[in-house]
Amino acid sequence: MRLLGLIARRLVWVPATLIGLVVLVFVISHVVPNDPARIIAGENATTAQLAALRHQYGFDLPLPEQLLRYIIQVARGDMGVSLYTQTPVAGEIWRRLPATMELAVYAMAVAVLLGVPLGVAAALRRNSWFDHTLRVLTVSGLAIAAFWLAILLQLLFAMWLNLTPVQGRVSDFGPSGITGFYTIDAALAGDWSTELDVLRHLALPVMTLAFPAMATIVRFTRAGVIGTLGSFFVDYQRAMGVPWRVTVWRYVLRSALTGTLTQIGLVFGNLLAGAVVVEAVFDWPGLGQFAVNSILQSDYNAILGFTIYVGVMFIVVNLLIDVGQVLLDPRGR
Amino acid sequence: MKLLGRIARDRVALAGLLVLAVIVLAAIFAPVLATYPQDVTTYHTAQRLLPPSAAHWFGTNQMGGDIYSRLLFGARITLMTAVIAVAVSVLIGVPIGLVGGYWPGFVGDGLMRVSDVFLAVPQIVLAMAIAATLGPQIQNVILALSLTYWPFWARLVYAETRNAKNEIYVEAAIALGVPPWRVMVLHILPAIAPSLIIRTSIGLGGTILTASALGFLGLGPPPPSPEWGRMIADARAFLPGAWWNAAAPGIAILVLVMAFNLIGDGLRDVLDPKLRGQARAVAAPAEDEAGD
Amino acid sequence: MTSESESRLVLGRRELALGAATLSVAAATPALAAGTGKFITANNNSYDTLDPHVVFDIGRIASRLNLYDALVRWTDDPPKLNMWLAEKVDISPDALTYTFTLKDAKFHDGTPITAEDVVYSMERILALKKGAYGLFSSVVKPGTTKALNPKTVQFRLTSPYAVFMAVLPEMWVVNSKMVRAHEHNGDWGAGWLARHEAGSGSFRLTHYDPAVGFAADRYAAHFMGWGPKYLDSIEFRGILEVASRVLGLEKGEFDALDGYTPYDQIKRLRGKPKVKILTEPSLRTMYFIIHNRRPPLDDVNMRRALCYAFDYNGFINNLLDGSVVRNAGIIPDPMWGAPKDLQGYTYDLDKAKAALAKVKGPMRTLTINALGGYPQSGQAAELLQSGLAKIGVKATIQSQPWPVVAARLGDEQKSADLIPLWRSAYFADPHNWTGYIYNSKQIGRGNLSFFSNKRFDELTDKALVLVKQADRQPLYEEASRILVDEAAGLFIYNTNYYGAFNDRVQGVRYCPIADAQDMRWQWLA
Repeated sequence: MRLLGLIARRLVWVPATLIGLVVLVFVISHVVPNDPARIIAGENATTAQLAALRHQYGFDLPLPEQLLRYIIQVARGDMGVSLYTQTPVAGEIWRRLPATMELAVYAMAVAVLLGVPLGVAAALRRNSWFDHTLRVLTVSGLAIAAFWLAILLQLLFAMWLNLTPVQGRVSDFGPSGITGFYTIDAALAGDWSTELDVLRHLALPVMTLAFPAMATIVRFTRAGVIGTLGSFFVDYQRAMGVPWRVTVWRYVLRSALTGTLTQIGLVFGNLLAGAVVVEAVFDWPGLGQFAVNSILQSDYNAILGFTIYVGVMFIVVNLLIDVGQVLLDPRGR
Repeated sequence: MKLLGRIARDRVALAGLLVLAVIVLAAIFAPVLATYPQDVTTYHTAQRLLPPSAAHWFGTNQMGGDIYSRLLFGARITLMTAVIAVAVSVLIGVPIGLVGGYWPGFVGDGLMRVSDVFLAVPQIVLAMAIAATLGPQIQNVILALSLTYWPFWARLVYAETRNAKNEIYVEAAIALGVPPWRVMVLHILPAIAPSLIIRTSIGLGGTILTASALGFLGLGPPPPSPEWGRMIADARAFLPGAWWNAAAPGIAILVLVMAFNLIGDGLRDVLDPKLRGQARAVAAPAEDEAGD
Repeated sequence: MTSESESRLVLGRRELALGAATLSVAAATPALAAGTGKFITANNNSYDTLDPHVVFDIGRIASRLNLYDALVRWTDDPPKLNMWLAEKVDISPDALTYTFTLKDAKFHDGTPITAEDVVYSMERILALKKGAYGLFSSVVKPGTTKALNPKTVQFRLTSPYAVFMAVLPEMWVVNSKMVRAHEHNGDWGAGWLARHEAGSGSFRLTHYDPAVGFAADRYAAHFMGWGPKYLDSIEFRGILEVASRVLGLEKGEFDALDGYTPYDQIKRLRGKPKVKILTEPSLRTMYFIIHNRRPPLDDVNMRRALCYAFDYNGFINNLLDGSVVRNAGIIPDPMWGAPKDLQGYTYDLDKAKAALAKVKGPMRTLTINALGGYPQSGQAAELLQSGLAKIGVKATIQSQPWPVVAARLGDEQKSADLIPLWRSAYFADPHNWTGYIYNSKQIGRGNLSFFSNKRFDELTDKALVLVKQADRQPLYEEASRILVDEAAGLFIYNTNYYGAFNDRVQGVRYCPIADAQDMRWQWLA
């Protein structure tokens, strides 16, 4: 019941936040001095054609009315037509979503699977050489520019070591499949050479994204474990004669994980932000590249659609984390 | 001064502070320190893409500009962007957080919902949209970063203010009839200042990363501005041949951001004695990472 | 180049004979014919649309050239005009009626190509008003193209047009039945054709993703037949970053790069084991488009000041290491019609200041729109900006991908003041560099500079009506001098073509029109 209540309370705010987001982005994009009708009409449009287009797309309506129409339209899941490519924005976003999600999920997995054990190890061996080395690594992980790291890795692994491809998501046009995650689609099709190819393409962008994410997780896990180790509860367990190993595995790790979990939403947000520049460097055909292109093309509908989708993803992830936290920590917040 | 003395005892933070001081001084005295101060706007096409040497310490770029000199002037842009953007967002976010936290009911909820809207999208995405809309210019970059960063401060101050309001001395002040603005400024603000200062240092580092990413994507100050992100973007076309072209600005960003982060770490140890206690060890980093 | 359309016709027949010979060889020796695998080109532009009638540039020509055919086609260097889908053409003595007889050819879906398809394609270009529209709009009116019978199509021009044959390769023939079936609200199938293909070209589309590129398989039944060796499939990837393209070629991930690779990278690639560089004289002049109508650029003295403020020597000999040659005017010097004694501008800040002093109107900050993905364009922009700063004129640079810049070109309000780019050869005729891009009738179409000059218009109009090269040449020479004197653009150089290929690549037939992206000739060793 407690869980349902929490979810219900959060859900109430989701539509309000979303409407706010639509308004915000709408305001930003309508300060653009460019004439969207001109982009649709092309180079040789006459004034009459432009007027007709403005009317067709509703650009001639007062701004509040345009906004209202847009909110209603978005509520129906329709993001409008890209002013540049003339294709539905929602379709384009859905087509590109798997590429970015695949990147983000693998980066998150790498960051968590490496970050949590490293963080625990560092905490248990506080102030050892291992701890210090890790500290240097994590501090630089949080200080390095993602696009620069991407270029470094590209030169190191693709060029000098010749281990990975330079760019792209797959050598060919990728396996066709239902999930859009090439690693899964290739596995489902039993196409192992494509699977390997996809993994090789994933390696560099995932490493670039995972490095700062891992740094964050290591720091949290380390701080969390140290905090728990020093608590009265651990002292009590020790006093009660509970073996040290059991204490660490059963209690310390659990509470440290709860702390780490709160950061997953944040890390996920950082991954999406990082994807924008990382996709630009590796020509990754995902949402980040889509966002950069849309902005360069002054494509209102696409920018609006992208921002709203990212907003929705973000809100959903945060909701899931709240739920996960309650499950892990019965006391709730 | 006492603060500086205490930071100085933490070797890592001291290193950060020294590095920062060197970079700030280099930026201030760029016209004097630069070996070719005119190279920001003038080119020597005959001397293009020269590797590092005694004449050109960090080599030259694709237009024949001296990279060391451009780096110094770029430091001015980077530091100015980050300092102004963080200052503006603090000036917007802190009052909102204070007011919201002081009256947590209707007012606070409303204000926090507004900041939620901004926080619903990664900062760089919104900043990109704003910077692209207004056009690639330094003041627009600063504006975009400020407009997207204030909610972080509002959130932080909101939470801290709510906690501080339950402290006995604040309750006492309110009971004695001290007007709300005086309570906020004289009692609550000093109490939350330490975490604000820690966050500012780390926030400056994060803002530098975001600003350079905007520059890399072509949304930063336009050429010939020696903005570091743009320098890296321009250098890419000449990789891997002229590696020094991309190496210098990348290392500069790394070092500067690291300096801010180390100072932030050091400040936390010094300023927030509560964090030494175990109970809040988990919560403490939660504050700083959110700013990246 | 041949001088008369009559001899062009003869040339066409000879080419046809050659084509037929190749076909019979291929058919007679099937055992030798062999597919040699897949060929990947790393291109500097993405393919944001596949519709052959909405874009008209070199950066995205590969989709048109390989998926579609036209009545005639340019090949080789110096460029030759070949009969392609057309078997022959009869041109009336008044040079107004062009009657084409079609070969037996089939679209990718097996439907025979008929005169109806040609008519539909021409009407579609005239209706969409995009891409190569400006090449035809002045002489072909909607509804005047007729299918006399399934194999014969007739164009009726409103006035003689010397370059009609030369520009026809940009009239790509689409499968009218297929496109009609996908028309939506009278859009001429534009929504559908942007993402699909309805052609007869040497390759048949298999994959298309605007975010990645396109891939196509060999169309074995292509009417031109195939040589003994050929590619099984081709792929064109849009990769904005030069470094990624170059690294990929070095590693063998790509087989060829676009024709705009910076010379620094060409120099580096020369020493690499798996790479070969093809160098050919080209017909591609680099220049700045100047917005001739927007003050203060409407003042000739302002434009001259710009032309004196650009460091030609520094750009050509230092930045580009002498890999290109100075071209005083817009017509490439190897092309007829380019005056051999033309005196261009030099980098002379005193003269620039003197010209600037004569400018009457108020000064303002100029805008330069450089092309992302083309480092040279950005470098030229920065060099001009630096020169202008020395004479006290401020300029800002904005860099954007070519499709974005292209979408704004020709828009008097939105187009930037200055755009550093290239004028490639779309057809080997001086009209390509003069009348089409500076005649005032072409404003909003080919004329992206908003330049208008009465004498220039007279000359270039007259040159289109005349037939003989000897008669046309002096007109173009005078026109070229006017452009320089009026500083209609800031003309820099004529390029050489530096093509970077994997050393397995064979059979490349470079043509200044489309570089080396006509893939039907190439194979992998």
